[in-house]
Amino acid sequence: MALYEHIYLARQDVSPQQVEDLTNALTAVLVEGGGKVTKNEYWGLKSLSYRIKKNRKAHYSLLNIDAPAPAVAEMERQMRINEDILRFMTVRVDELEEGPSAMMQKRDRDDDRSDRPGGSRGGFGRDDRGSRPPRRF
Amino acid sequence: MAIKDLTTAQARRPFQRRRKTCPFTGPNAPKIDYKDVRLLQRYVSERGKIVPSRISAVSSLKQRILAQAIKRARFLGIMPYAVG
Repeated sequence: MALYEHIYLARQDVSPQQVEDLTNALTAVLVEGGGKVTKNEYWGLKSLSYRIKKNRKAHYSLLNIDAPAPAVAEMERQMRINEDILRFMTVRVDELEEGPSAMMQKRDRDDDRSDRPGGSRGGFGRDDRGSRPPRRF
Repeated sequence: MAIKDLTTAQARRPFQRRRKTCPFTGPNAPKIDYKDVRLLQRYVSERGKIVPSRISAVSSLKQRILAQAIKRARFLGIMPYAVG
């Protein structure tokens, strides 16, 4: 079976409990298709960098999946129908990572970098050319 | 003789810059991951554009992987396509 990382974004006005139910429902679809979910991470309600379907925030969930492709395709089909799901992305990986992902570790690393001068985008900002000029044709 | 003089003159330039090396090559190099926003943030400009590898010194293979990771993060709304 193939390994996948799957992230989906749920609408901001659903409750975390509903997101959990949704994850369980999607897991059930995968199990029915002969797969399994090895890790389930809920990242919480995070603000988006830009508006997606009129939403400024979204509930993020990460699933590590070990399932055959038809099961994943069926799950994605159902996600497209569900209006609570704003967006999803499935990435095929060679190996699934153990332990919490970079997103969950982020808070610890914020602390040990706080003593550094400058922002997170220190190095290369000066060389920016600005926005693209309008196209001629 | 004339050729040798020319090469020594080129080597002794007034501004000798240290050769930059790829930050994703070698031991304990960070793993490029589309979920690691703090890492990716260092390779985009203030406007949110991907920094060219000639400035950030990322090797061409790693630059392709890095660009893919940034684009995935953008799709998921955890990084901006454009700022301002």
